[in-house]
Amino acid sequence: MIDHDVLIIGAGLAGLRAALSAKEAGVDVAVVTKVHPVRSHSNAAQGGINAALTDRGDDWRDHAYDTIKGSDFLGDQDAIEVMCREAGDEVISMENMGAIFNRDENGKLGTRSFGGQREARTFFVADFTGQALLHVLYEQIVKAGAFVYEEWFVLSLIVRDGKCGGVVMMDIRTGKIEVVRAKAVILATGGLGRVFEPSTNALICTGDGMSLAYRAGAELMDMEMVQYHPTTLKGSGVLLSEAARGEGAYLLNSENERFMLKYAPEFKELASRDVVSRCEQTEIDEGRGVDGCVLLDLRHLGEKYISERLSQIRELAMDFANVDMVKEPVPVMPGMHYAMGGVKADIDGKTAIPGLYAAGEVACISVHGGNRLGANSLLDTLVFGRRSGTHAAEMIKSVQHLSIDDSAAQDDIDNINSLLSNEKNESFGQVRLDMGTGMKNHLGVYRDQNSMEKALELVKDVKERAKSIYVADKSKTFNTNLMFSIELGFMTECAEAIAASAIQRKESRGAHTRTDMPDRDDENWLKHILVTKKDDSHDISFLDVIITDWEPVIRQY
Amino acid sequence: MEVNFKVQRFDPESTDLVSHYQNYQVEMTESSTVLDGLIKIREEDDGTLSLRCSCRAAICGSCAMRINGEAGLACNTKIVDVIPSDGSPITIEPAGNLPVIKDLIVDFQPFWSKFKAVEPWLQPGEIEPEGEYLAPEEDMIHLAGVVSCILCGACVSDCTVLEVDDNFLGPAALAKAYRFSRDPRDESDDQRLAQLNQPGGVWDCTRCMKCVEVCPKGVDPMDRIMLLREKVMDAGYNNTSGARHANAFAKFLKNSGWLDELRLPVLSFGIFNIKAMIGLIPLGIRSQLAGKRPPIFHHKLSSAKEIKKIFEKVESKK
Amino acid sequence: MKYAFYPGCVARGACPELYSATLEVCEILGIELDEQALEGAACTGAGVLQEKNLLLADTLNARTFALAEKSGLPLMTICSTCQGVMSQANQRLTEDPEYLAKVNETLADEGLEYKGTIDPKHLLWIIAEDLGIDFLESKIVRKLEGFKFAPFYGCYIVRPSKALKLDENPNRKQALEQVIETVGAEVVEFPGSTLCCGFPILTINPKNSQTMVANHTIDAKDRGADAMVTPCPLCHLNLDGYQPNAAALAKRDIDLPIIHLPQLVGLALGIAPEKMRLNKHLVSTKKLLSELAVAP
Repeated sequence: MIDHDVLIIGAGLAGLRAALSAKEAGVDVAVVTKVHPVRSHSNAAQGGINAALTDRGDDWRDHAYDTIKGSDFLGDQDAIEVMCREAGDEVISMENMGAIFNRDENGKLGTRSFGGQREARTFFVADFTGQALLHVLYEQIVKAGAFVYEEWFVLSLIVRDGKCGGVVMMDIRTGKIEVVRAKAVILATGGLGRVFEPSTNALICTGDGMSLAYRAGAELMDMEMVQYHPTTLKGSGVLLSEAARGEGAYLLNSENERFMLKYAPEFKELASRDVVSRCEQTEIDEGRGVDGCVLLDLRHLGEKYISERLSQIRELAMDFANVDMVKEPVPVMPGMHYAMGGVKADIDGKTAIPGLYAAGEVACISVHGGNRLGANSLLDTLVFGRRSGTHAAEMIKSVQHLSIDDSAAQDDIDNINSLLSNEKNESFGQVRLDMGTGMKNHLGVYRDQNSMEKALELVKDVKERAKSIYVADKSKTFNTNLMFSIELGFMTECAEAIAASAIQRKESRGAHTRTDMPDRDDENWLKHILVTKKDDSHDISFLDVIITDWEPVIRQY
Repeated sequence: MEVNFKVQRFDPESTDLVSHYQNYQVEMTESSTVLDGLIKIREEDDGTLSLRCSCRAAICGSCAMRINGEAGLACNTKIVDVIPSDGSPITIEPAGNLPVIKDLIVDFQPFWSKFKAVEPWLQPGEIEPEGEYLAPEEDMIHLAGVVSCILCGACVSDCTVLEVDDNFLGPAALAKAYRFSRDPRDESDDQRLAQLNQPGGVWDCTRCMKCVEVCPKGVDPMDRIMLLREKVMDAGYNNTSGARHANAFAKFLKNSGWLDELRLPVLSFGIFNIKAMIGLIPLGIRSQLAGKRPPIFHHKLSSAKEIKKIFEKVESKK
Repeated sequence: MKYAFYPGCVARGACPELYSATLEVCEILGIELDEQALEGAACTGAGVLQEKNLLLADTLNARTFALAEKSGLPLMTICSTCQGVMSQANQRLTEDPEYLAKVNETLADEGLEYKGTIDPKHLLWIIAEDLGIDFLESKIVRKLEGFKFAPFYGCYIVRPSKALKLDENPNRKQALEQVIETVGAEVVEFPGSTLCCGFPILTINPKNSQTMVANHTIDAKDRGADAMVTPCPLCHLNLDGYQPNAAALAKRDIDLPIIHLPQLVGLALGIAPEKMRLNKHLVSTKKLLSELAVAP
């Protein structure tokens, strides 16, 4: 058995930032990640990171309001204030660590415009900001000598008397299972994109942390809020950054019309993502689409500009859509991209379970409410990653290890043996595909009572099927087949939480748009929906949104 | 369309521990990638096939492997670009120059330890600025090219020096070293350049351009290594064979317009390098007997003067 | 066909056999060589000057191109390294008009200007593309049937593919095999055909350099090659000149003759080996030549 003070699950931006701050506080820290840190999905973020820097005459309160409005007023305003107030320092801190942010002609950090914001306050590294920041943090933890369990897979959280005391994890390379005690566990496992098909998300985004927390008794909040990004490629789901629109790209329908001008006269293509996705879907549904897509037009930006600021997405469009955006518009459509919901956590990452923290996409505080603004996720991961690490490092000083022994791994060992002994049957791939396409169809940009009931049916079906899938690989070394089968279990649980929350919300808000209840109902529904596990089913509860200075108004872009 | 794959398999839990090829036939579309094919194989045909992959969009660097003998990312390699014209299968093998763990999964530890060896973090000066360090836009745009390295290992896989000598730091680590050396905010060039001047550093690159050719992100590792050599020499480290070679070469061109092949190896090894000088004797004799000894009297080109002027003009601008 | 001939430094120094063979072969193939046009053209830098000062090396190559433009003739090289270095320089010069203008500022002192119209071509490509394989076939007087040759390209003529325009001219990736087959011989495939001979690190890391020589020559020899043929005299210097050292390192005999591209072509065109100095290599070609002498 292994002991650590702070154990961080996930080595993306949130996890590494937490590791850095915990290490700086001088405690024993370990990071466990199922892929090498630089392979984490944070590297796929493209556009940039938001911050209001006062030396440019920007005001964090403006950023806060843009975020609150963007969230369709479901975001908790106290938490949003914290994020926006600390944003400037976070960006400067990343630059000082080595991030090669774009500069203006005076050598100071440059900005670009981004969705839903009145001021250009998005700091960026060409169009691969996530990769650039992730690598900087990885370099810093190498420098700090932080310990990383590379390619280890967490199977379950260990909870005793309602307190989290560690994890059961498997060394993917050898199949060895270890019980690890930790005085604080920080979940930083990212999103759940693979619950949907297609999705912009990597294959590793299987909602592990959300499911682990759910099974441990934590609350999952706002799970129905699933963001569809407006500019993804058909088929592959590959993401083309909002930065394209930030740099001036147009969205056109089959009639060559810039349709966003009629839906969002002020913000146009830079309205909040849920708004843009809905407009695109409407255009497509009403027959003004081009082969199920709309067109992203960057031709007017010119080759030199695109090469300097958007070279990665130009490559992506050429590789995955056979289109050179310098010469032709690219067909794009709304694609599942981000989970606003997640494990309920506060501004220091604390969840309802003592000893268990959550930060980044896995968490829901909520700073994104019903819809996340572009370039706020990178900010979220860094601010709350840092805060969680700092808080956990402090908290553990007054905590002892729980009484845990190797028997804590028994359930997971039994589960694995059970999976391995399943008879020849369908593989995880088929079940995941059915779940993914079903979830996308029933819980898409638009949903209604009927579709959501179908989603619940689907969930029931795939949960059952997931138990009896066939695991062809029986080996101990790098058994990816087994790992995917376990991940499928995580995903079906997340799907359940999403469907269960969605059918509860009797209004349209943010990314949850019901064609049968198209209006927002602040009187009854200015609250979060929480799902907790109860045996093989779930309980629903509600939590009021925290309002500080900004009363909800109708969203106009 | 049906596509044939020939995939190298290795089972570390087998008794004979020998790798072998396995053939698969997969139904694919025109726009499919190699990764699409491999994922289809493991989901529908053979769940034991193991590989690393994640983002499917050429940013995470997980899926570097050898496709038809050349390193690349499986996720952005289109099937139609790699199907051999004679109908033979697409050959998929693990990345080279790294130990194979299982099937297409290689042990990246040697890669990471070389990465760490170049101290890959910003080492700024003592004075911390109020806000951000001021830095010119062109510098950041220039660095974006080398920062776009996703640490996929394709360059390391196919490096012809790593194939014969594991001591070489390799293209990825050296390109990363360049990224920091070139960063205007980094002030540790003294230590960095001294380290890079050591055996296994910048001088061991054989300039074969394999890394430039296989890099999926256009990082151009070899070009960065050449720029580091320039920096190393400009910083005054001129006592390696490599530096002597480059300096002698430049000197001959400056004075005569072309190479003095007779004297170049002598100056390059170093005239006081007795062992090397003795080693050159057999070669010298053989060359003499074959009439291949370069002329003892190295005459200048007719335009030597003009060429010298070009040297002086361009060198002064530096 | 007439070309401004750029022999490179090594053909006029340590590989005089390449120069002789080139002249002999071009005469028969009807390739007129104007060496005067590029009289006084500097060394390309061979990748080494580029390490010292890239702009300087590009300027010297731009000067060579300007001289070729003045002559009104296309430019021919006979060395993979010259070819590759020139192609890379040309790519930088023609891609960025500002860069070209900067370089031309220096050339102006001599009254020269590079207008960006030169497309340097190796004799290998000239045979495969400009003359055509059929034409070569028509000039062959003796097929080298029964002989096996291993092709060794030299890094600089196969990478980077963009500068060498390999996507637009995919036959360049197979040109050497094509020539071997056209002269009636068999191609010996071996792993190192397009890998590195180790020449650039010959004085810097002799062990690695000689290991590369050993690997490639042994692979070719063990697969039955009678000789290795290369379009690069630098590769030739290492594969031939340092083969004894490589054999010592590998602790076995190798004895694989290394011949230049024009020598191979010349044999099929009926040119006497001595005229191409084929008897003047460091690794003995005696066995190969005697077999050729008695073969039909």
